[in-house]
Formats: sequence, C-alpha cells, structure tokens
Amino acid sequence: MSALASGSTAMGQATAAGPSYTAPTTVDDVIAAMATGSRVVAGGTDLVVGSRQGRWPVPEHLVAIHRVNSLRGIRPVVDGGLWLGATATHGEIAEDATIRERYTALADASSIVGSRATRNVGTLGGNIANASPAAETSGPLMCFGATCMLESRNGRRELPLDELFSGPGRTVAAMDELLVSVSLPAQPAGTGSCYARLEYRRQMEIAVVGATAVVTLDGGQITAARVAITSLAPTVRRVPEAEAALIGSTGDRAAAERAGEAAAAASLPIDDVRAAADYRRAMAAVITRRVVQAAVDRARGETVSIPASASLHGAL
Amino acid sequence: MTMTTEPRTAPVVRLDGREKVTGVGRYAADMTLTGLLHGRFRFADIGHARIKRIDTTRAKALPGVVAVITEADVPDVQYGLFIKDRRLFAKGVVRWEGEVVAAVAALTPEIAKRAVELIEIDYEPLPVITDIEAALAPGAPLIHENWESYWQDEKLVRSGNEASRSTIVKGDTAAALASADLVVKGRYVAAGSQAAPIEPRAILAEWRSDRVQIWSSTQVPFAARSLVSETLGLPENKIRVTVPHLGGGFGAKCEGHFEPQVAALARAARRPVKVVFSRRDEFLAPDHRREGMIVEVESGVMRDGTIVARRAQVLTENGAYSADEPLITILAAIFSTGPYNVPNVDITGRCAYTNTQPSGSVRAPGAPQAAWALEQHMDEIAKALDMDPVDLRRKNLLRNGDLSPTSQVMSEIRAVETLDKAAELIGWGQPLPDDEGIGIACAWWPSFPMATSAFVKINVDGSPTIITGAQECGTGAVMTLPILAGEILGIDPSEFSLVYQDTESGPWDGGAGGSQTLFNNGRAVADAAMDVRRQLLKLAADELEAAEDDIELADGRARVKGSPDRFVTIAALADKTQGTQLLVGKGSGEVPPTPASDTSACTGRLGAESFAAPTFGTHAVRVKVDRDTGVVRVLKVVAAHDSGYIVNKVGAAGQVTGGVVMGLGQALTEGTQISGEGRVRNAHLLDYKLQTMADVPDISVWFTDTAVSDAGPKGSKGVGEPPCIPTPGAVANAIAAATGARVRELPATPGRIWSALREGQA
Ligand SMILES: Cc1cc2nc3c(=O)[nH]c(=O)nc-3n(C[C@H](O)[C@H](O)[C@H](O)COP(=O)(O)OP(=O)(O)OC[C@H]3O[C@@H](n4cnc5c(N)ncnc54)[C@H](O)[C@@H]3O)c2cc1C
Repeated sequence: MSALASGSTAMGQATAAGPSYTAPTTVDDVIAAMATGSRVVAGGTDLVVGSRQGRWPVPEHLVAIHRVNSLRGIRPVVDGGLWLGATATHGEIAEDATIRERYTALADASSIVGSRATRNVGTLGGNIANASPAAETSGPLMCFGATCMLESRNGRRELPLDELFSGPGRTVAAMDELLVSVSLPAQPAGTGSCYARLEYRRQMEIAVVGATAVVTLDGGQITAARVAITSLAPTVRRVPEAEAALIGSTGDRAAAERAGEAAAAASLPIDDVRAAADYRRAMAAVITRRVVQAAVDRARGETVSIPASASLHGAL
Repeated sequence: MTMTTEPRTAPVVRLDGREKVTGVGRYAADMTLTGLLHGRFRFADIGHARIKRIDTTRAKALPGVVAVITEADVPDVQYGLFIKDRRLFAKGVVRWEGEVVAAVAALTPEIAKRAVELIEIDYEPLPVITDIEAALAPGAPLIHENWESYWQDEKLVRSGNEASRSTIVKGDTAAALASADLVVKGRYVAAGSQAAPIEPRAILAEWRSDRVQIWSSTQVPFAARSLVSETLGLPENKIRVTVPHLGGGFGAKCEGHFEPQVAALARAARRPVKVVFSRRDEFLAPDHRREGMIVEVESGVMRDGTIVARRAQVLTENGAYSADEPLITILAAIFSTGPYNVPNVDITGRCAYTNTQPSGSVRAPGAPQAAWALEQHMDEIAKALDMDPVDLRRKNLLRNGDLSPTSQVMSEIRAVETLDKAAELIGWGQPLPDDEGIGIACAWWPSFPMATSAFVKINVDGSPTIITGAQECGTGAVMTLPILAGEILGIDPSEFSLVYQDTESGPWDGGAGGSQTLFNNGRAVADAAMDVRRQLLKLAADELEAAEDDIELADGRARVKGSPDRFVTIAALADKTQGTQLLVGKGSGEVPPTPASDTSACTGRLGAESFAAPTFGTHAVRVKVDRDTGVVRVLKVVAAHDSGYIVNKVGAAGQVTGGVVMGLGQALTEGTQISGEGRVRNAHLLDYKLQTMADVPDISVWFTDTAVSDAGPKGSKGVGEPPCIPTPGAVANAIAAATGARVRELPATPGRIWSALREGQA
C-alpha cells in the first residue's frame, strides 16, 4: 500500500464510533476527510479487491472520490500537453483520440488493464497511488515526463512522476495527500512510443515483464529516447543506459538489442510463482527490444495496433 | 407442439438455461433462512504439525459468536473410501494446510472470521514432505504414524507412505524388451492442478427436530448424505441433501465434503448455518484436485513401428488423506500404455501420501497426465524410428479383436477412424510457417454402468414431469433427459418439467461423475417413459377403438398410424383417467454388462478391470510458438470422438469444446505450485491461470455418431470427461513439432519452453 494511499488505517478518526464512508463532491471535503484519517477509494479495484483477498484490512474510514467533478476528465492544455484527472478511467484513456495518437504508449497500457469491467471503473490515480511495480501506466507516464499534482490541507505541490515511487507499494506522498491530476508535457514532432508486457494468455494478465519506449526521430536518427522497465525492479524505473544506447542510432534492430541488453542489466528480477528470475531477465531484453522497434515504427508513421502487447507475441 | 427438427440436433433450450442466464436462478450461496447464522472453518494453516493445544475460549467469548466446535464435539469416526484415515476435524495431528481444525457459527460472516482468528492453536511442527519420490524413499518420515491401524479395503496393497500399489501385467515384458529392435525411454513430470469451478462451494444445514436438511453445492448428493450418515451416526432417511443450481464441479465437488461439519455446527448452534467458501478456500480446502504425477515409461519397438512391449511406473500424489486416489492410480497406470495394442505390459502404479491437499477425481481422473506423458513418448518413438507420428499410431491403435492391457477383447470400437479424421481435418502434413507446429494425441476412457432409477409422470392436465435423483453439474446431462422421454412419449422435450438433485424426491443415483449421468439415468428415464407409454397406448386403444400396435405417440397425441385424423391428445387421456388411474411410470433398465478381462497376473486391483463401452478420441492441435519468449498461442484444435450414438448433438459438442479448453489450460498455464513447507503459492485466479475466452482457438468437433451395443441409451457412451484427456499431449507434441524442443514437464509454461529451447541450442 502506498503512503499516498494508506492514510487512515491506524490513526485518524480513532475516536469516531464504527466504520464510516463518505462520498463528497468537492476536493476540499475530500482532503478534509483525509486529514482526519479517511482513506481514498476511487474505483476500488485495488483497495477493495485486495481487502477481499486478505492482503490488507478494509480501511475503517473511507472517502470515495467518484463524485468529485474536478477530478474527472482528460483535457488538452495550452502548451500542447495533456491534463488527466485522477479519476480518469483506463477505459477513457484507452479510447481518447489524443492519447492514442500522441501518447500511444499510455493507450497501450490502459487498454490491457484487467478486463473491460476493470477498465471501466479502475482509475489512473488509483493505478499510480497503489504504486505497484507491475502497474501498467507508470512506465509510459514516466517516459512522457509526467508530473503529478498532490493536494492536502497544507496546500498543493507538483512532483515529477519518477520521483513519486519509493518502493513496492510505497510513494513519497504524505498520508493525507490527494493525487489530483497528472500532466503530460507536449512531445516533440517525430515522437513514437510503445508499452508492452509479456502475456502468458490473452486476457486478464499481470505484467511479469513490461517495458516502455518513447523515441523521437529527426532526419532518420533518434534524438531523444526514454526507456522504462516494469515488474523488473522494486519500482517501475527508467533505464538511462538503454536510452543512451538508442540516442544517435537509426533505431535499427542492433540499437534496439543494445537497449534490451541494457534493460536486462538494469533489472533486479525476482523468482516467484509467475516466473524465474533468469527468465525474467532474458525477457527484459526481448520485450524492451520489441517496444523500441515498435516505437520507432510508430515514430516513422507506421501502424502498430493498440494495444501493442497483443501483436508482439509472434504477431498474434 | 410440433417437432420440426430431429430433437437431438435441435438447439435445445435447456430447462435451466433461462434462469441461469438471466440471473434469477438460485445457487446455494444465494439462499437465506430465518435465523440463519454464518459459519467459517479454521484451517490448519501449516503443512504438518502436532496439535499441542486448541483453545476456543476467546473465540467463544466474542460477542455474536453462537458456537465453536472441534473434534471433541463430534463422534470420533474415521472415514475414507479405501482407507479410513481421516476425521471431520483434525485430532492430534494436522497433515496439510487446508485441514479443518475447528468451525465457528456467528451472527455475521465478519464476526465468524474474527472468531476463527481468535482460536488459539499451539503446534509442534513436524517434517513436511511435498515431493512424491521423497515420500516413497526408504526411511522417509511417516505421514500417518499409525497407518497400520486404519481400516482399509481388503484388496488394497499399501505400506507406510505408500497409500496403494498395484500392477498390470500381461505377457513377458522383459523378454519382449530384450528382443525388440529398439527400446525408447522417457520420464515425464506433471504438476497437480485444480478443477476450479466458477462457483466456490456453499453449504447450509438446518435441523428440524432430529432430521437435518442440507443444501449443498455437491455433484453427488447421495454420497454426501452417506457421509453425513456415517460420520454423525444418523440413518440416511433423517438426512436430506438438496442441491440448488450447481455452478460447476469438474470433479472437485464429488464425494461428500463439509456437509457433516456444517450439520454438526448447526446442531451445536441450534440454528441454521451457512458456510460459503472464498475463492481461496475453494483452492485450498477441497480434497479433490488433479494429482501430480511422474510417469517413467519404456517401450520395445520393431523397425516397422510395431510396439512389442511397454514397461512403466506411474507415481501419483495422494496428498495428506486418501480419497479415491488409489483407484485413480490404477486408471493412470492403464492410461500410461494408451489405447494401443501392446502384447506385453508391465506397469506399476504407486500412490504416495504427501503433506499436500488430497487428490481425487477431477474430470477424467488420472488420464490427462498419463496420456500427456505417453503421447509424447509415442512421438519420441516415432522420431527414433524416423516414422510419421500418425502412421505409428495407426499401426498400433486398438482395433476390434485386439486385447487391452487387462486382456479385454475390443469390439465395436472406432479408434482408427478418429485418428484419420483428426489428421484430415487439421491438415496433417501440410507445409507450415517456421514458428508453427501440429501435434496429435489419442486417448480412451471407460463408461461406468451402474444402477439408477427414475419416474416419469403425466400430470392431470397432460403435462409431463421427470423425477430423478440425477445431478446436473452444468454439463446438460440431466437437461438432455427430456429428449429421450419426449421421443418415447411423442412430446416435445421443452414441455417437460424436471425434479432432480434432491435425495428425498428422487431414487438413488451415482451423481455427476464418471460421465455416467446420461449413460445410466438416461436408460432409467427411457425405461420409465416406456412404462407410461404402455399405459397411454392402452388407454388410447380403448378410446380410439384400435389395436395398441396400431397407435403411435407424436405431437402430444396418440393417433392411429396412417390415419392422423383419428387421435386423442395426451391431455385428454390424462383428464379422462382422473380419479381412477394415475399416469406414473417407473424405470431402471438393465445395467449393461461389463466386458470380461483377465487380471490374473495383476496385483492390488480395486476395480476398472475392463472398460465398459469404451470411448476413443484423437485430438490434433496447431500452435504458434514465440521462440524468443516461449509463449504459445493455440490456433486450431480438432477433436474427433467415438462416443457411440450422440443423444444431444449441441450438448455433446459443448462438452467436447469445454473439455478441449480445460485441457489447453492444463497443457499451458494451469498448475498448482507448492512451497517446501506445503503451502500452495498460487491459490487465486491471478496466478492460477485458467484459459480465458480470448484464448479459445478455433475448435472443430467430430463424432463417429454410431450406436454400439452394451452401452447407454440408444447405443451412446459417456461424453463429458474424454475430451480433457488427449489435449495436453497433443499440445506438447505440437510445441515440439514447432520448435524441436520437448518439454517433459506439465504445464509447458513459457519459461519452461524458453529453457528447453536454450538447452536445445547448447
Ligand atoms: C481483475 C483485475 C485486473 C487488474 N489488472 C490490472 C492490470 O492489468 N494492470 C494494472 O496496472 N492494474 C491492474 N489491476 C489493478 C487496478 O485495477 C488498477 O491499478 C486500477 O488503476 C486501480 O484504480 P482504482 O481506481 O480502482 O483504485 P482504488 O482501488 O480505488 O485505489 C487504489 C489505491 O490508491 C489509493 N487512491 C486511489 N485514488 C487516489 C487518489 N486520487 N489520491 C490518493 N490515493 C488514491 C487508494 O486509497 C488505494 O490505496 C487489476 C485489478 C483487478 C481487480
């Protein structure tokens, strides 16, 4: 559980009698509830499902945020970037025309979260605040240079997303801080991006290995590159060595392979029920190589269908 | 009420279909009763330990708790099918993490959960054995110290951690192996897997004076009743087990499970109690999961592909207590030689106690893993002989007149036809892209004749009702009964109502297991319908002034053959007899005989001597393998079956399709992972990976559709289980064909395929 998310469990309204649930319509009311120890619930697909699985108790005091209008929606902003409300759902993100065109990796990510039902209620804010090393949207957001806006009774602060995560299920946000929105800066012309994960089956997967690439091509050469790995370290993280391996290249297979090797080297894979560590490390190289190639293809204007994951396993 | 299509080919609208699809159908967990309490079990939560102390004081003191019970509160009865090695609640020792130690009844599920946590248990840990071979190794710590004192089936051969040992011996295997042109050997290791029904089970019990009414999600209400009777010491007629709609079982809900504990809890609480399993409980606690298995097999073959001898050892995982696994081990041993004509056979089956969830029948118990091993072995023989795998199988498949491993003479079988059809429909031999491959596998499976009974009645308004003790587990077997009765009575199947899955309203039935429901209960229903038919013909003969032989029943009428205008409706006949005669038929039919066999050289037999009305099938699978990741996508499956006459074509095809998909899961993604401490590591649906609808490939189903003698109604055989059997083997062979790498572990996960490919490169 994230610090962002774990506001209410032990402390807070210790004096109030019994459990409580409120669903206010303003951010002020939400942060007031958080200040007294209520825990935010958005779609509940992590919080409630996790409780049912016995991973953590149902928080005593809940504040639901689905009725707060100002936390909703996806809007272009003046400098060519994009603003996403914390309660934008994966379904909305996956269908958004601007995201599909200009932030394609994010559409790749949101369109493979769980099932259609999960995507219709699961939110971007919840995905971030839950801070899972397997969270689908974190890699794309980091690579696009996303910032997130946090708000509490002490005011607002803006934080680059790659400074938010501090460990599995943990963030640097304070217990009473609400994630209000995420902002994506404009991407230069000639940018293509891709997110994909290894998938054992075609639906209802969890990232065992995932990778993001965002590349900018200028005159046939990569001038900017961002690469992140998912489920391969305690947090989703960027891989500067992979980025360096791409810059200055044409984005050919050899460069993509070097990026893949760098991603594998930067991985700290674990052995668990989902995969053995050596397999995970090898897959870090394969999946990274494939997302780099798909991002380069997209930067060149070629079509790689969304979600990319579905087409990457031997084009099936 | 006209029948325009042949009933067995019409898209039958199942009588339970509408309520299930629209959500008004009621399952056990949906039920509520006045004064209902919520129960919960305390599971052992440790792999193996001595219980030094159980203290329920704090749990009992929790407000809202009505009863807490342990072994001290029920009769000290040991039970079990072949070995009576277990009790309702653990006594002295716990032997697996899902063993029930105590039960709580409380006002709410939340209170029950908290109370369960307040039960204090002090354990002294004992050594945990999770590995089959380690359990059978000399000097291994005993899982049941007092194993010798337990009652056992007199035919069972066992010792220490070896829960059963049996052999199948025919001919002189040693000599035949020595004189063979080539001997091919293989070792294959299959993980255990789960039935994973979509409905986690729920059980309610309510005492009415000295009688108990139980509602349970069981596949076998009569067996559940017997277990309550045996363990709580009540006559069967004081126990009623009723099954609301059942949300699937796949074998996991066979045998009695948990009904006695819930009944005991309700008695202690003096109020009705309901226990609903969580998904995690459903993964951990039932003692019916597919056993892990190790198959070592060697075959002696001649250059022309003739198999002359086969020696095998099949090791199965019994788990901590013994359910039907000793018998399943005998089946697995038979399946480790496959549906082939092998003159010399020497197979040993050994079933090992381990500190894991007990194994037991899951859809075609014992067969898929053994067939997976053997069918890979067949392909390895073909490779060693440089022979086409289909040709090798065609050369050796059982034909009429051949002898099975237990010397049963084959008759009226069509195994070769299924092979040829599957090869044809998949396009065997066609050129494929580099990353694709086709694999093929054959299998067989018995039908299980047994006694059962049913009633058919015509109500006073002429509407028909079937009353049966049979159980519908979702396969549609009970829903198909009206097709048989309707044909005999000239009534559209959709006109029938059904009374079923209730021990007090219907006669005894074996339940939804062994693909036996339509096979046996269909016979009984047809027999009961014939009884009513005779009554109707007699009445109609009087009414129409015609000879009985000249009357036919069709479209809800009795009419004179050749003059359709001379008729009387069945409704009119029913009306007419009111007050003087009831139109009730009862039937059982004659249980088909079991073929002769010769097991004189075999030992430790518990049954399955020969296969009545054996079914045969061949599956062919086309896959695409991503060589970099080891991810497999199944593109096409052909399933060709010899299941005798097909009574309900839509239903039978549905069973085959579902069986194929279940087999794909076992082949590729499903497998229980157990830690060294005996803890299941993937007791949830995220990491126990069933196939999803998106994974379902193009599946073609083909049936021989020919009646056979000594079989089920109209010459049919069992349909539900066989389609699970050949799929994993065909998938494994397809992966090997695509990549050149063979995965001798089940499931063939991407990681294992990737490793096999790397070893291949080295
Ligand atoms: C069947 C299923 C499949 C899934 N598949 C995937 C998958 O493929 N990929 C993936 O990444 N995830 C997956 N998930 C996880 C989950 O759906 C996503 O992480 C989703 O985005 C969570 O959003 P939510 O709104 O439901 O969060 P919630 O469950 O409501 O909240 C999650 C956490 O974040 C906190 N929180 C929520 N919003 C805020 C906020 N605005 N400010 C501060 N804290 C907040 C909550 O307190 C809680 O701790 C799956 C879940 C299920 C049930």
